[in-house]
Amino acid sequence: MLRYIASRLPSALVVLVAASILIFSLLRLVPGDPATTLAGPDASPEALAAIRASLGLDEPVWLQYVHWLGALVTGDLGRSYLIGGRITDLVLAGLVNTVVLAVAAMLLAVLFALVVGVGAVLSRSRTVDALVTGANTAALALPPFVTGVLLVLVFAVVWPVLPAGGVPPAGFAARPDITVQYLLLPAVCLALPVAAAITRFLVESLRTELAQPYVLTARALGIPRRRIVLRQALPAALPSMVTALGIQVGTVLGGAVLVEAIFTWPGLGQLVEQGISRRDYPVVQVLLLLSVAVFVLVQLLTDVAHAALDPRIRIGGSL
Amino acid sequence: MTLVEETPLAAQPATAPDVRDVGVPAPRARWFTALRHGRGLAGALLVGVVLLAGLAAPLLAKYPPLEQIPGANLVPPDAAHWLGTDEVNRDVLSRVLFGIRADLLVLVTAVPLGALVGALAGLLSSLSAATDVVAQRVFDLLLAFPVLILGIALAAVVGPGLTTVGLVITLAEIPVFGRLLRGAALRVREMPYVEAATVVGAGRWWVLRRHVLPNAVEPAGVQLAVSLSVAVFVEGAMSFIGIGIRPPDPSLGSIIADSVSKLDANPAMALGPLAVVVALVLGFLLVAQALAAGRRVAG
Repeated sequence: MLRYIASRLPSALVVLVAASILIFSLLRLVPGDPATTLAGPDASPEALAAIRASLGLDEPVWLQYVHWLGALVTGDLGRSYLIGGRITDLVLAGLVNTVVLAVAAMLLAVLFALVVGVGAVLSRSRTVDALVTGANTAALALPPFVTGVLLVLVFAVVWPVLPAGGVPPAGFAARPDITVQYLLLPAVCLALPVAAAITRFLVESLRTELAQPYVLTARALGIPRRRIVLRQALPAALPSMVTALGIQVGTVLGGAVLVEAIFTWPGLGQLVEQGISRRDYPVVQVLLLLSVAVFVLVQLLTDVAHAALDPRIRIGGSL
Repeated sequence: MTLVEETPLAAQPATAPDVRDVGVPAPRARWFTALRHGRGLAGALLVGVVLLAGLAAPLLAKYPPLEQIPGANLVPPDAAHWLGTDEVNRDVLSRVLFGIRADLLVLVTAVPLGALVGALAGLLSSLSAATDVVAQRVFDLLLAFPVLILGIALAAVVGPGLTTVGLVITLAEIPVFGRLLRGAALRVREMPYVEAATVVGAGRWWVLRRHVLPNAVEPAGVQLAVSLSVAVFVEGAMSFIGIGIRPPDPSLGSIIADSVSKLDANPAMALGPLAVVVALVLGFLLVAQALAAGRRVAG
């Protein structure tokens, strides 16, 4: 197992380091000097130089990169130029909201996939299968800004039962019933494409399992189909579902930005939007790197989890 | 390499599995069949209607997309304004029709460009182990940015706009097509007929042109339809969060974004562009599914 992890680590690290250099250098290419922005139009050259020195902008670029990375590793994300305050605080505030949203959406998606996927395989009815396939294609294809606006229109305007956006005013833990109301629409909106993708995956792998010889043996022994699906095929199909879920992390990261914009959910997506519109590059830089790091890390974890669940991968991978 | 092409072998197409010889219709004919019924037809119709509407926007739109009509503030749909008007008195239908044109432009430029560059990179890098490793890492790096995050990164550097949207879509398609063509090249290389061709003196270029490309055309066609669908999504999403096409120029995404706070007064302002986005995204996806299904049946 350790050998498998060791074999996967280098390429993940290479991607991460390359991405950090890319992000760092791209945002250095941006026209406009943060010192001029901060100092205002009438600043004296001395004031400019002082600001440049305090921001570390007078150092060579590679040294700036090393300092930036070193500070990041120790947890100091730097200061925001324009939004104000320490980036660590801004990110932590947004992170809680985004993580709550993403986790709720992932849970919904897995629950949905298990119920619908297993149901579709168990039912064996052509109508159910056609319905599930059709709904899946639609859910997979519809961008979050389409489903989100439709959800708001139906559940907050036409039939006003749920809030159109925002987070619970007293925090997530204070009143669980209120939290659910605020969380429901954005989480469903974020979960839909993920749920559709992993449902399709689950149905495919369940069907593959059901075509295996052991299923034939089990049926010949008189074990009911329902029991075979739930006890034998489902556990065997789960490892590939983990991979399918891992692949979806990109959808969730991008989707979170859209969903937060639709439902005015004050998370990291909103923060990055604000960072871009106000040209607060240190904030954008940190969030981009965070997103790439999460993406690479989740892919790595997915591979490791898959290898842990499926010995064939682990043995093949360590050769 | 040119030496190889002049050998008698190049004149013998029998080494390539020519599908026409074994009674299966050629890919092009199969594609047309796939689009003539069921999902394929539905998808082609959805896409066709929207694209035609976009092309004919100057004829169909009753108002210029930027004209502010006096006294028509956020009116719901009526005979004069089929989708009503927006918060600054512009006709929503006219803006939607002109908004389709932005998508059209991206669909015919950014997607084919990304597909071409990606395909070339995938094919050429597969020729040597060193370039293959480099290309793979570059693809990994590009894929480590989910497409919207890539959009945010580029918008931060070059600023928002239609060019940025095109650039993001092109960059996002390069690794997709690169990996597709590389995979095709590696698979075909293991085939006995390629081994046979190599034994009698076929060079790498010849194998690439004569064996790899014909085998990759069909999966690339399916991927192209998927990528077109993704491109519509990316344009809409980027304009929606304000890093795509800038107001006042019309774009489906920005009309939807503006409509969110006006759903009480004029829900049609959201429903119109939403329907267009759905038709395009779903249409391209149905076409992709029909092409993929046709491929499986024939294979």
